[in-house]
Amino acid sequence: LPDVFHYHARGDGKSVALALPFSLDEIVVGWGAVRDRALRAVPPEFTRAEWAYLALFLDPAALRAVPERAFGAGQACPGEIAGVARPRGQVAVWLPSNVSLLGPLTLVLLSLTGNPLTFKAASEGADLTSAFRAFAISALPASPLRAYLEREVSVVAMPREDTRVAALARSAMVRVVFGSDAAAAAVHALPHPVESVGISFVDRHSEAWIHPARVDDALLLTLARVFSVYGQAGCTAPRRVVLLDASPDEAGRLRDRLAELWPSVAPRPPMHIATQNVMARQWAAAEGWDAVLSRDHAAVLAVGGLDHPPLDAPWFLGVCAASSAAALRQLPAHTQTVGLAWQGDAAAKALEILTRSRARRVVPIERMHHFLEIWDGSSFWRAAFEELEVGS
Amino acid sequence: VSSLLAQRPFAPRDDATLLSELVELSRHHLASCPAYARIWPSFGKVSRVEELPWLHVGLFKRLELVSGAAGTRRERILRSSGTSGSASKVRLDAASSELQARSTAAILAEFLGDERRPLLVLDSARALVGTELPARLAAAMGLKPLASDLRFIVEDSASTPVRWEVVADVVRGHRDVLVFGTTTSLWQVWGAAHIPDAAVEALRGCRVHFVHSGGWKRLEAQRVDRATFDAALLARTGEGSRVIDFYGLAEQVGIVFPACELGNRHVPRWVDLVVRDPYTLAPLDGEAGLLQLLNPLALGAPYHSVLTEDLARVGQGPCPCGRGGKHFELLGRVPRAEARGCGVA
Repeated sequence: LPDVFHYHARGDGKSVALALPFSLDEIVVGWGAVRDRALRAVPPEFTRAEWAYLALFLDPAALRAVPERAFGAGQACPGEIAGVARPRGQVAVWLPSNVSLLGPLTLVLLSLTGNPLTFKAASEGADLTSAFRAFAISALPASPLRAYLEREVSVVAMPREDTRVAALARSAMVRVVFGSDAAAAAVHALPHPVESVGISFVDRHSEAWIHPARVDDALLLTLARVFSVYGQAGCTAPRRVVLLDASPDEAGRLRDRLAELWPSVAPRPPMHIATQNVMARQWAAAEGWDAVLSRDHAAVLAVGGLDHPPLDAPWFLGVCAASSAAALRQLPAHTQTVGLAWQGDAAAKALEILTRSRARRVVPIERMHHFLEIWDGSSFWRAAFEELEVGS
Repeated sequence: VSSLLAQRPFAPRDDATLLSELVELSRHHLASCPAYARIWPSFGKVSRVEELPWLHVGLFKRLELVSGAAGTRRERILRSSGTSGSASKVRLDAASSELQARSTAAILAEFLGDERRPLLVLDSARALVGTELPARLAAAMGLKPLASDLRFIVEDSASTPVRWEVVADVVRGHRDVLVFGTTTSLWQVWGAAHIPDAAVEALRGCRVHFVHSGGWKRLEAQRVDRATFDAALLARTGEGSRVIDFYGLAEQVGIVFPACELGNRHVPRWVDLVVRDPYTLAPLDGEAGLLQLLNPLALGAPYHSVLTEDLARVGQGPCPCGRGGKHFELLGRVPRAEARGCGVA
């Protein structure tokens, strides 16, 4: 039962009491200890890029900021209590079918809510959530976080049609679904408690928008790092780069330099990725892109226009020169993130993008993958709480 | 095209003629297939097959590539099994099909002999109907020139039981029969299946030539190796029966590579191969790499030179089996890892 209160300033002189079953600080300290262990070696289930990102994500300062962004600045001495935020109860998370970091990241964020968590993983293939949970338990001494992970967090690998899936939906007060539109609709169509909350994270498109004056090696290395975690298979990885108000020649030079820098960021890929990229280069050329392979066939980097057809090839990155107006006009409706490298007033540019398109996030390119409590336009972390009114 | 078909497949090679035909064919496709020309915008003087343009087999899963020469009579679309995801589609044409049929028959005759025998196909005749021709049926039809009679012996193309009464009926009247199926179906509905006593008795008096293709991926998952597979098939047939496994792909229709007695794959004189480094595409000699196959029999679409996702090693020196020409060792598919990311399906 939640019996530890954490107070947050609401902004009107009153406070919200966040009721948790543990001291949040002890949980954050626990994740810090997991991070310290994580820095020593990469478990075999993870790639180096995945593990590095996960270790970064466990930064205690960043985790402490999550409830503050949701409920206001923390307070040692509360003012008048005007509300209580109480964990809703069982949270069920449907993980994507791909091997993905989203499970571990969601586990960390949702652990801060104190809710019991059940992750539904795919019945086949590697399961990074189980691997991460096991790693964290092994890294921790007896502690509130370890107890929470052992008692309140479970990962169940099962096929979609398993009867336990329906049981999970029936019992969950919060359903978080990572999947296609159809998969999310199917989960939310299962019988569930009427007062429960359903949150969907469906596949999205992301882009990087760059002002020509910002192009330098540091930016291109950042771009390569962001892309090379999962390539296009990451919903927050750029599926194309738009060089704003620039010429095709400038886009070509950006592509060429990116290709030169790529080997310093991306290691030699597995053979099946190398050969798939050989295919993707030819596919891109057939579709009219001017495409090249980076060294060891780690990626396909291409120059074209916004009208060139996108390719469903994980390691294909197209670079387009376009006017700001055209880039806005042709930003797909299912855009999740625009990674922006802007010269001048970036906040104003971000405001323009968000108000004139359907994009959900505009962030610097290096923060495109940063998964936080607000996602796809909703505060899913805050939604894991019931918010109760306290009258005076 | 192609004069090379006039001789037996493993007669002495004429690589100069083959190169010349492949160069001409490449020019034909570059001139009449715009997508192909965009992939290979420059094509100069070629002195070796390694320098010829090629296409990755995966492109045939994503694009419909057609060379639009005047007078080309289009036929059905050849469709691969798609066991590893989406299926390849290869547009057939009448002129190529004729050459490809001659090629397949000539190669298989080298391994099976010219004698005509009843052919039993582990498939349904219904699968022949439609605008798309499954590659497994195209492979079965490749045996037709060697067949005196053709029977489809399952009710449905989906691994349904064999009509053993038909098998027994055919086998009783003949000393030799041909049986064709995909590797998986031949195991499921014959090798690992219960066979009624009457059919077993009939089969014991008959020499059965099992021919199969399609790969071992599914059977490896069931821990069925080649020795187990062959033993199960041969246990219930007459003396002199045998099992022939051939390698082929939809994007090289007309070309089949039966394994010889030593497990090597022999290259007909109208076919060439290159093994390439997967990370540089440089040609390799004697090392394992990606297999590229070339033949001059594909006129209606540019599938005359394809880079496969199969690993192979070119054999050094003559094969002790006695067949002439080039040969290679097939090492399996490029190993795959699970998809990572959150872009979901």
